[in-house]
Formats: sequence, C-alpha cells, structure tokens
Amino acid sequence: MKDLLFVDEQINDLSFTVKEGEQARLSFANFTSARDTEIKIDVEKNASLIGALADFSKGKSRFKLTVNLLGEGSSCQWRSAVLAGGESDKVISTSLYHLAPETSGVMSNYGISMDKAKLVFTGTSEIAKGSKKAKTRQEAKIIVFDMGCMGRCTPNLNIDENDVSASHAAIVGKLNDDHLFYLLSRGLDEKSAKRLITLGYLKPIEEFFGDEGIKNRIDQTIEGDI
Amino acid sequence: MSSLVIKGLKASVKGKQILKGVDLTIGTGETVALLGPNGHGKSTLLACIMGNPNFEINGGSIEFDGQDVLSLSVDQRSKLGLFLAMQNPPEIPGVNSADFYKAALNAHREKPMNLFQFYSALQNAYKEMEIPFSMSNRNLNEGFSGGEKKRNEILQMKLLDPTISFLDEIDSGLDVDAIQLVASAINKEQEKGKGFLVISHYARLLDLLHPTRSVVMINGRIVVDGGPEIIKKIDTQGYEWIKRELGIEIEHEDQPMNKVSIGVCATREANKE
Repeated sequence: MKDLLFVDEQINDLSFTVKEGEQARLSFANFTSARDTEIKIDVEKNASLIGALADFSKGKSRFKLTVNLLGEGSSCQWRSAVLAGGESDKVISTSLYHLAPETSGVMSNYGISMDKAKLVFTGTSEIAKGSKKAKTRQEAKIIVFDMGCMGRCTPNLNIDENDVSASHAAIVGKLNDDHLFYLLSRGLDEKSAKRLITLGYLKPIEEFFGDEGIKNRIDQTIEGDI
Repeated sequence: MSSLVIKGLKASVKGKQILKGVDLTIGTGETVALLGPNGHGKSTLLACIMGNPNFEINGGSIEFDGQDVLSLSVDQRSKLGLFLAMQNPPEIPGVNSADFYKAALNAHREKPMNLFQFYSALQNAYKEMEIPFSMSNRNLNEGFSGGEKKRNEILQMKLLDPTISFLDEIDSGLDVDAIQLVASAINKEQEKGKGFLVISHYARLLDLLHPTRSVVMINGRIVVDGGPEIIKKIDTQGYEWIKRELGIEIEHEDQPMNKVSIGVCATREANKE
C-alpha cells in the first residue's frame, strides 16, 4: 500500500497512478504559510484512493485535486477540514471523474471561515457515458463565524449516464444558536463553547492521519486559533 | 436562603408578546409547579430566566439574591446557580459528552478538578441516573433516545449542583420506571434544600415531587399562586374553573398553517424498476 503524507510541503504539480487492485493513502497537513497545490491522480481497476487535507495555514492559497476513476470498480474517498482565519483567501477545488462502470466516490469538504477570511469550496463530480452503476457524492459545509468573513460552496454534478446514483449537499451557515445556548447554559463561556463546537466539527479529519504527532498538532492549532 | 424574584417580566419573540408581566418568587427549599395551558408562556418564562437569545425582554426584572440576572450573560447565570433542564436538548455533533462535562464543571470552579476527582464524580452521576458509563464517551445527546436525553439533563444538574433548577417537561419521553428514577434523583436535591420550578403536564411526576406551591400561567401572566391542591383540581377539572372564578378569558392561540412548497431536486427514474 502506498502511503504519502505531506506536512507543510510545497507541492506544485503532483501526479500519480494507483495501480490495479492497489490501495493508496494521500494526506496533506498545512500549518504554516499557505501554498498552491495541484494534484492529479488516476485510479485503475479495483484500486482505491483515500485522501485527506487538513489545512490550517494562513494566507492566499489554491488547492486543486483531480481524481480520475479510470478502471471498473475503482473508488475514492476524500475529506478535508479547512480553517480560514485572518485575511486568508482559500479556494479548494475537488473534482472526481467517473470514467468506468461501478466506480464510487465521496468527497466531503468541511470548513470554518472567520475574521476577514474568504473560503470557497468547489467540487465537481462527473459521470461519463457508459459508467453504469457509478455512485458519487459531493458534500461541502462551511460555518461562518464573523460578520466580515465569507464562505461559498458550489458543488456540481455532471451526469451523462442513467443507471447511477449521485447526490450533493452544500451548507453555509452560522454557528447553530441552539447548540451555543445549550453549552452556555451549562456555564461555558462563549469562547470555550465555540472552541468545543469547532473542535467537534474539524476533529474527525484526524481519523485520516495515522501519525499521533499530527493529530496533536491539529488539536493545538484549533485551540490556538479560536 | 436564596430566592429568585421576578417582577413584571415582559418578553416577546419575533414581535409577538408572550410574557405580559410575570410576577413570581421562588426560594430555596421550595418546589413550585408551573401549570397552565399550552402556548401561554411557561417555557418562554424558563428560557428568559436562563437568557435564551431568541426572546426579547421588554420590561420587568429578575433578581437572584439582589443581583440583577437580566444583565448577566447566559454562562454567568449558570455560575450563579441557575440551571435549565430543557424540553428538547439539542444533539451536538462532534462534542464528546465527558469533555463537555469536564469543561462545564471546571467553569463553575476557581481551580480545575483533577482527573481522578472528575471521573469519580462522573461515575457516581451515571450510576445514580442508571445510564451506562460508556455513554460518557458518546457525542453530546447524539443518537440518544428521548428518555436518555432527559436523564442526561438531570445528570448534568447533579454534576453542576445548582441552587435553583428549572425543569421543562422533564418527564416527557420517560417510561414509568424512568420517571420514578428521575423523581428520586430530584428528591435527593430537594432534601438538600434546593429550589425547583417544574413544568409538567402529568400528575405522575408532580405526585412524586410533592410541590410546596403551584402557580398557574394564563395569557402570559401568573394568575393563581397557591398550594399544591391546585394540581389535583386542574388534573381533574382542567382550566375552565379559572375562567369562572377569576373571570379570565383564556386566549386560544391561532396557529396559521405555514405555506409549504414542495420542490423536487432530482429524479431517480433509473432506480424505479
């Protein structure tokens, strides 16, 4: 099994193929300054890709991921957790192309936009003609914390085959007032309550990282930033 | 002896006036049953005492031992010794129950509890409420049944040890055994001299709690403030006698139908075989 982990590394142009029947794991963790990243991955017959992005960097960045499910029975699972604060300006694009029958993929992007940051998730799932029984899902959720920040989700589905299942979800919203009131009513101050809700929202990304050091760093970064 | 004194409290939600001048005093050592038809402001009163931001206070005062409660933030009210057990506790994704209880307990203390103290307090509370301790590792209220959520509210009340607790239909969703369990957990706090304001539509819970007083809220005001015998009267006769004896017309809430439009997002004809 291929296992690639990039921590605060500059990846301008990465492309590789997950060979027939193989499994690959690809994860990115960015804590320091923002950087542009472009990745292209081909997945062959019965192969699978599991990928994750934990992005807590500051500044302007463009992250672009393209996954081609080339072979029958290939699959992809992608998850990202992004915290955009300060004056950050981040665009995360994740595209998934189903080019063979019985391919399946889920892409979930979760983010928090605060201060004066801009955060955009664009996701495209495309099912080409002939990719029968393909299953695809694009999910994007952004919580906007402050008046001056911005969050936008645009999931796209392009379907050119009948016998498929495709779905998408896009949510941009404030922190749930009822949740906040509940935590406050038990004595937590607003700052701690928000931190707890945010941790709960971004923390599931840690499951994608085997390395304990990275998990701790993610915890510390969220606590430090909010 | 502590007491919460509410005077002329008025509150509205989205421009609709719900509380129209509530006068009520609750002291420690008292258990007050708050009765009244649905939609007349019982839950609103409790939410306002705790500081729910969905309600706008537009008159009156609330004082706890001389301290102005309305000027305090929600968490400060909790730290003052007030506790609201909610009718519908929300499910909070990703927030671990035990982590949350630890944060809440420590917020009430000057020095944080050590881990051993915390776990023994937590274990005792779970044991008393007969909730499996393994549930402390689950996300807060997530996937809990209605009854589990209610027991979980009383569990938090036990942990935080408030002076006056407000229980909003804590018995709904509980089976007979669970009502007994919740009632005896509350009884223990009553013996310690704590104060309670309890909303319930069922005589069963109130029978077990032996209220010292009962008050009736109609049209956004407390119109009857008397002994526990009123509970039985309402249980058997309803609220009509209030109309007769006090000459109060009970307003019925108009419930306009919301306009609903049903849209279809995607069709899945391929799957209809």
